[in-house]
Amino acid sequence: MRKKNRESDADEAQIDLTPMLDVVFIMLIFFIVVASFLKEAGIEVNRPDANNSPPNPDATSIAVTITGDDQIWMENRRIDIRAARANIARLLASDPEQSFSVKTEPGASAGVLVEVADAAREAGVKQVNWAAEEKK
Amino acid sequence: MSRRGRSMTAQSGSGGGGSDGEIDLTPMLDVVFIMLIFFIVTSSFVKEPGADITKADALTTESCVRGTIIFAITGSGEIYYDKKQLPIGRAYRLAEAAKKEAPKANVVIQADVDAPTSVLSELTGVLKPLMDAPLCVSTNEAG
Repeated sequence: MRKKNRESDADEAQIDLTPMLDVVFIMLIFFIVVASFLKEAGIEVNRPDANNSPPNPDATSIAVTITGDDQIWMENRRIDIRAARANIARLLASDPEQSFSVKTEPGASAGVLVEVADAAREAGVKQVNWAAEEKK
Repeated sequence: MSRRGRSMTAQSGSGGGGSDGEIDLTPMLDVVFIMLIFFIVTSSFVKEPGADITKADALTTESCVRGTIIFAITGSGEIYYDKKQLPIGRAYRLAEAAKKEAPKANVVIQADVDAPTSVLSELTGVLKPLMDAPLCVSTNEAG
């Protein structure tokens, strides 16, 4: 009699965990699948708010223009993308706090813009400002 | 030894030797729950644009902090978000909805090397009010 009592007690107190385990495992698998540990990498380009105001040809600012056919112009002459970093670094040497801005004409491709921004950052520019010229 | 003996006497009728073959699941359950919570917390539900683009290479590539709202611009100037092409007019509303879901998220634009800057500029102009940080243009790490 006493033995039987203890037996039924043990049976009632035990909860069957199997359904909960099933649910937990399914949730676990769902979140593992959904979790995409994707880290986007890139470079930061600042777009000033007042982009309709023309960038002033200030002496204390480095300006680069990318034309519609992807030519890079700096200091009134055309430069190659490979020479951009050296040119920017040379201008930056006189005043390391200078601001840097790229102006793009419509039709310029994003790849050239990124390359110029990369060259500038490599040369030590802190923030790349980008002003796009609107279509006429 | 004595413990096993006692349980045998107590459960010999119903268990049918179950206590002998039963494994204690508690430590495994602990681990599973911790993994579950970890994955719930870390999952950020990034919607990938799904457009086939060639990113530019950049030496100064760094990670875009919390860049989980991702737009793509293809070489022909089409805008993609969440595997769908969309007109520029809808970009703001979609980005606004994504921003509401994850207020700390930042905008990333994946631009193809041939993508026209006019489209990039237009899209940036549209999304500018939602950005807390400078625009992050997605690149490949060079070298």
